[in-house]
Amino acid sequence: MVHSLTDTETHILAALGRGDRVVTEQVYRQNYPIINGWLIKNGGNAEDAADIFQEAMVVLFGKAQNPDFRLTSSVSTYLLAVSKHLWYKKLQQLQRAPQRLADDGEEGSHDATYEEDLKVHLEREAHYEQLNASLDMLGEPCRSLLKAFYHHDKSMQEISADFGYTNPENAKTQKYKCLMRLKKLFFATQAK
Amino acid sequence: MNFNNISELAEAWVNNTMSQADKAALQARMEADAEFAIEFNEHIALIQALNGNGSQKRFRNMLKDIAREQAAPVQKKKIIQLPAHFWRTSAVAASVALLTSFLTYTIISNTSHKPNPDYSTISREVDHLKREQQKQQATQNAIMDSLSRKNAPASPVSDARYSGTGFALTNDGYFVTASHVVNNGDFDSVYILNKDGQYYKAFLVNFDSKSDIAILKVEKKNFRFGKLDVPYALQGEKASLGTRIFTLSYPNDDAVYSEGYISCKNGYDGDDKQYTLQLPAGHGQSGSPVLDEDGQVLGILTAISSPGQANTYAVGTESLNDLLQKMPPGNKLHLAHGNKLGRQWHEQQISELQNYTFSVKVYKK
Repeated sequence: MVHSLTDTETHILAALGRGDRVVTEQVYRQNYPIINGWLIKNGGNAEDAADIFQEAMVVLFGKAQNPDFRLTSSVSTYLLAVSKHLWYKKLQQLQRAPQRLADDGEEGSHDATYEEDLKVHLEREAHYEQLNASLDMLGEPCRSLLKAFYHHDKSMQEISADFGYTNPENAKTQKYKCLMRLKKLFFATQAK
Repeated sequence: MNFNNISELAEAWVNNTMSQADKAALQARMEADAEFAIEFNEHIALIQALNGNGSQKRFRNMLKDIAREQAAPVQKKKIIQLPAHFWRTSAVAASVALLTSFLTYTIISNTSHKPNPDYSTISREVDHLKREQQKQQATQNAIMDSLSRKNAPASPVSDARYSGTGFALTNDGYFVTASHVVNNGDFDSVYILNKDGQYYKAFLVNFDSKSDIAILKVEKKNFRFGKLDVPYALQGEKASLGTRIFTLSYPNDDAVYSEGYISCKNGYDGDDKQYTLQLPAGHGQSGSPVLDEDGQVLGILTAISSPGQANTYAVGTESLNDLLQKMPPGNKLHLAHGNKLGRQWHEQQISELQNYTFSVKVYKK
């Protein structure tokens, strides 16, 4: 039974990493009420719960991008622990951190792992933010073209039609030109 | 190997679409030219960041969408396809009206021997009317959408989502729904949700937007709808006027039964591939099977005539059979010939039918 359980968790992680909607919905349905309940007890409201929980899901999504990643705990335990850490951080920012969070402490020894995961997550967020800022500095059509391809996952065929290129090859050539310009901008801001 | 388009090279590297020979050439160049190596690595970092950022953005959007849905489970299926037929129906009605007046005009003008220069004008006017109605429908949809989500943040327009009903063709996963339910192929993913609340991903096999029929298949290997073969057969000939009919559909996640009769042998605007039915139908019921009392499938629900829902239209099985003749290679469908429902009580028929009918959910970003 242990095997089948870990198999399921690995399967869930892989599906989450791919952004599979059905599995994500299941994980959401199963875990959101738990985190919502915990947060209400600890001074949050439903809106905080949605924010925190979704952020925790994104942390897990980030971890799941690495195919070798294995959870040492169940998906549920992981999400709850990350949510607690995220909430604690938020309270610290708001400078109303309580001395100790209610029913906290069972994950004790794993704290460092979660802290590390959050640190990686925040660094990545900052990195992406810089990338988005560089994207916004690009002129048109580059900005829209790259967003269509990378953010909206459109095919070069669709893009070529939407942007009025005569064929996907021309759109591709334009995309590579845009990438060159974006690269200059992005690494210039990083160097600063 | 061409080193000029470094972006293209980096993309091929990241997507792992590069040949071994090219990889080797590239590595050799990187070892020889440190400047090039830095440049190339920067390009790879950029593309990886763009990919990662993009997929994370889509994941975040999906989470928001799921949150919205779970917050308002009752209202989640407000965007449904059937209303799309209102504009079509009314556009056709408008064009019929225009055509009638035009015909009257020609008759009059013929009797008075005048040339009639208005043909193209009228057709353009029809186009214009259609466009107007399309626009109105779009605003209407937007309003309905915003009403249904008044407690949630506004969503991007491109988040459209459709839901309809489907029924099994073969026990191993082929099924039918209305082509407009799957947006005539323009969607990101399709799932069926069966009576046990399980989702299965499906893919489009074939569709015909003219007759409004689509054939899909459940992706899962060794999938079975029920323990036995599909219990109903497709009716070969056209059913007669007044035939008692019933249907099972999934306007929500629960099966809904309704019954009625064939009120006209032809469908909308005399379409002889369709039936006109007296049968209550509404949102989310497109794609439902229409069965006679013996449990033979006569057609597929496709449209209702107006907001008054005076008439319901179904495409006859003839069009389905036509589409089945034109399946892409590699699709072998073993249709059931026997009709096991014929010998059963009506309640038994309905309960049996629930294994082979389901909600069809279509996602589009």
